[in-house]
Amino acid sequence: MHAIVDSLAMIGISYVMGFLFYGFYRQFNARVQRRWGPSLWQNFFDNMKFLLKTETLTHGPMFFLGPMIIAAGAITTVLFVPFLKDSDWLQGFSEHGNLILIIYLLVVGPLGNALAVGSSGNPFGVMGVTRGLTRLMGLEVPFFLGLALVMLQHETTSVHAIMAAQDGLAQWNLFTNPIAFIVILLPFIASQNASPFDVVGAPVEVYAGPRVEFGGRLLGLLMTQNMMMTVAKLVLVVDLFMGGAGNVPILILKAFSLFLLTASISLVFPRLKTEQTVDFFWKVPLGLGVLGVIATVWLPWGA
Amino acid sequence: MSLMIKILFLAVSLSPALTLSTWGESLAWPLFGGIELLFDLNPISAFFLLLLALGAPLVALPMLRGAPDRPAYALYALLLLGMQLLLLAGDFIGFFVGWEIMTWSSYLLLLRSSRTDLEGAQSYILFNLASAFLLLAGILVFHSLTGDFRIQAIDQLGGPEPLALAVLFGLAFLIKVGTLPLHLWVPRAYDQAPDIFSAFLSALMSKMGVYGLILLATLFPEALSGLLGRLLNGPAAGYILAWIGVITSIVATFKAISQEDMKRLLAYSSIAQVGYITTAIGVGSSLAIGGALFQALVHTLVKLLLFITVAGIILQTGRRRFNDLGHLIDRMPISFLAVLIGIIGLAGMPPLPGFAAKYLIFVSLIDARWLLLLAAMLLSSTAAFIYCYKLIYAPFLGHANSPEAKTATEAPWPYLVPQVILMGLLVALGIFPGFGIQFLIDPVLTALGLAPIGAPSWGELATPYGGYDGVVLMTVFGTAFALVTGGFFLLRGRMRRAGSPYDLSYAGEVPTADTPLHYGAGMGRELRRIPLIGWILLHTTTGFLTGLTRQSLAAAGLLGGFYGRNPQTWILLAVLLFALALTLVTLTGGAL
Amino acid sequence: MYHKSECEGFQCEQRMLEESLGQENAQTGLVDRLVGWLRQRSLFVLAYGTGCGAIEMRPLMTSRFDAERFGIIGAPTPRQADVLVISGYLALKTLKRVIRSYEQMQEPKYVIALGSCAINGGMYWDSYNTIKQLDHYLPVDMYINGCMPRPEALIEGFAALQKKIGRGEPSGFKRYRENIDWYKANQRRVLGENMPPDYTYDWYHAGGVA
Repeated sequence: MHAIVDSLAMIGISYVMGFLFYGFYRQFNARVQRRWGPSLWQNFFDNMKFLLKTETLTHGPMFFLGPMIIAAGAITTVLFVPFLKDSDWLQGFSEHGNLILIIYLLVVGPLGNALAVGSSGNPFGVMGVTRGLTRLMGLEVPFFLGLALVMLQHETTSVHAIMAAQDGLAQWNLFTNPIAFIVILLPFIASQNASPFDVVGAPVEVYAGPRVEFGGRLLGLLMTQNMMMTVAKLVLVVDLFMGGAGNVPILILKAFSLFLLTASISLVFPRLKTEQTVDFFWKVPLGLGVLGVIATVWLPWGA
Repeated sequence: MSLMIKILFLAVSLSPALTLSTWGESLAWPLFGGIELLFDLNPISAFFLLLLALGAPLVALPMLRGAPDRPAYALYALLLLGMQLLLLAGDFIGFFVGWEIMTWSSYLLLLRSSRTDLEGAQSYILFNLASAFLLLAGILVFHSLTGDFRIQAIDQLGGPEPLALAVLFGLAFLIKVGTLPLHLWVPRAYDQAPDIFSAFLSALMSKMGVYGLILLATLFPEALSGLLGRLLNGPAAGYILAWIGVITSIVATFKAISQEDMKRLLAYSSIAQVGYITTAIGVGSSLAIGGALFQALVHTLVKLLLFITVAGIILQTGRRRFNDLGHLIDRMPISFLAVLIGIIGLAGMPPLPGFAAKYLIFVSLIDARWLLLLAAMLLSSTAAFIYCYKLIYAPFLGHANSPEAKTATEAPWPYLVPQVILMGLLVALGIFPGFGIQFLIDPVLTALGLAPIGAPSWGELATPYGGYDGVVLMTVFGTAFALVTGGFFLLRGRMRRAGSPYDLSYAGEVPTADTPLHYGAGMGRELRRIPLIGWILLHTTTGFLTGLTRQSLAAAGLLGGFYGRNPQTWILLAVLLFALALTLVTLTGGAL
Repeated sequence: MYHKSECEGFQCEQRMLEESLGQENAQTGLVDRLVGWLRQRSLFVLAYGTGCGAIEMRPLMTSRFDAERFGIIGAPTPRQADVLVISGYLALKTLKRVIRSYEQMQEPKYVIALGSCAINGGMYWDSYNTIKQLDHYLPVDMYINGCMPRPEALIEGFAALQKKIGRGEPSGFKRYRENIDWYKANQRRVLGENMPPDYTYDWYHAGGVA
């Protein structure tokens, strides 16, 4: 019973946080561009609009199942990320998982959806999937290396243990292991599918993308899971680098400040092509990561 | 008559299972001069015999289809015999005999394919003979060290002999697992072998190399650490081996992405996957060897599944290139499911056991503090998603691209039965990783003198670094999937299927049957624009070896320059060198 | 001087169609209005640049006029779009693509016709290869006249469409579905053999069951 209520609460919180954060992002974006921008609820309306469409077109069973897999993957991810520290609530099933599992769970859904895109038979969709996988290949290496520095620092893959080791502000990994944070920051933005690495699922203007054939309620489901997944990733980084949160307002505050940071970065840079993205990730963040490894592991004071 | 032969053949293919279940005590067979052939089943060989016992009948079943191919049956039986000899051998004589029988019988089986060309057959036999001779040389070095052929740890470290032993044996086994740059025979052989036999080559015979590598580590006290000391938190000799493994996986992964033929893609993916095993063996800790064994198990199951399925597709369509297939999902649903499960295992995604293996290897790399290796391995393991996607997209999704692909039907039952069994095994092992650890991996680790990993329950994979619960994971994912799908289906509104496969949003245009809509072989071509990948794909191993030859010739030429036509020149050089040496000796006080 | 008090010819056909529609769904329930209220807050626009009017769509979307504050934003493909904006005159060649795109959109979907060319042909009233009255070929929900209408006018048109959606009134796609034969006959009259394939709409005849 506890588990069910807890799971529902996590799903609900991540959804609400998701659309409010995205709404904020669009507002913020608009203000930077000297516009008024849509309301904070705009993403909720968009999502509801799609979920209330009366017609939905499928291209066969696999096309229908793809969005289901990605949504189930998003829910599973949310449930395996602990939202709160030292609490019975909002833990989901995170006791049974670990950081590496979460990193892989983040990819399960998109791969499932890639099957649906493929079965639609639209070459533009498959092109988008290939771009997505290519970008994934670029971002995952520095992202994982940065997280591995954290795992090495605490000698565990358990998110709970890493969170528990950061008691005060001074113990936050953000301050004890700043290299790791800098290394993961840009790949993290890319994994959120945010500008300047957003050519894959380009929201408005690029025709070729994984969503090219999705419409109606299936697209609504894709939007829903996207918002939940965004929050799950934010909470994960908060857990790992900002000491987690004791209660929901603090969680929202921390996640929001992190979101503000990433949003500010993504607003001011122009979009990169896929191969530029990969090349950039393998040069700058990965190079930094290698330097970090040399500094913390190879050099005598590290060991 | 033919039915009798088939039943007999199936019975023979069950012989590894029979050996495994009925083997009693060790068997000694005196040879000349006090040397005896020793056969014994220890937990390490039992693990690999289990793989063989599992795979042999599953490969034999599709071979039964059609008129009995008697020579192939006989060779297959011989091959099984050789591999069992190899695994059971307690000394290097039996090991070598088994190795040779395996090499020759597999070579003859390979030749029975109509697609085998001279180049493929030559490279197969040359590389494998090289492997066998290196093994023989290693055995002789081993004998000179211990005075015995029995497989046991040598006492003496230091000196050049143990290093020579490690290099000789290492090269022999690395050829067998197909490590770069010694992998040249692998894609050719896997591609040209009879379609079903490719499964055996990739899934089981490459594991004999892995068995050899694990055996190699047991020959030295303190395993690999005894060889060159330690680096960070792992053996320094293993660090080299691990980099060899990782570079193999990276290059092979990008090669796999650029392939246009299903079996060649699988061959390169096989090289890459075995590269992970090599890496893990290099790390050498209990977690790493556990991971290596788990990966060996998963790779066996996955490659059996994928190669048998691909053989089914080739049988039904007669096409093997990605460009010529497409949209088989409706016509071959079971094969689709098999490839789906296969690539999830190949990519190491969570619900299936591939993830458990990857997890163990990753954790062992963190434990050894070899983070750069971890990053490199992650690169290859993420890039593997692309070829996995290509493997399922090009044959099964998209648009049918040839008349055969439009009319194909599901593969016959001898192909489907192994697929279903293997899918079941993979899923079960994914839900219960702890079971695999406890009953399959831990006995081997104990026999190797490493700490067992242990499992609190069947569903749980536990390491000192944390673990996960396969049962909970599967339950959560399954429940979420069922609820989302059920809920969506109830509230789906008016959902309809597109009236035509060409009902695509195509910028207002109307695609027709002539429009090139299948993305098949083109997938991944644009990766060449990324500098690193472009560089890797621009260079071939043949080119690397040619370059090596050229450099050696140039070096020899340089050396030859000293031996000029005029003998006086090099006599002068020799005198000068001698004088220099003498001066040095005098200057350092004779303590050179 | 000829004064037209009544419609004549095919104009009457159109009025009859619209009258019958209006009476049938005159009343809308609470749920309809709630759904409509949610729908009207978010309109994804397939801005198919059919004619010169497309030039007015850019300032509408960018900072000066900022249509995003009304929840109006572009969509890359017809599958994701709610509103099809026909921006100006429609050549026959374009008409085919527009029909295809419209049929690929998912219901509920709306059409906004922009500029006088879409109403009566405008300055192309006697052109041999543009259509004169868009409403004969696609069901238009909102006309915005002018040549070209400025972005303010576009915003007003969108706002009017949003009000209409918010009231939960039936919109053009129902008209299209119920009178598909009439629309197809009209399309065939101008396109001839060059019609877009029929698999995008032939399910209308099946009563709309999946």
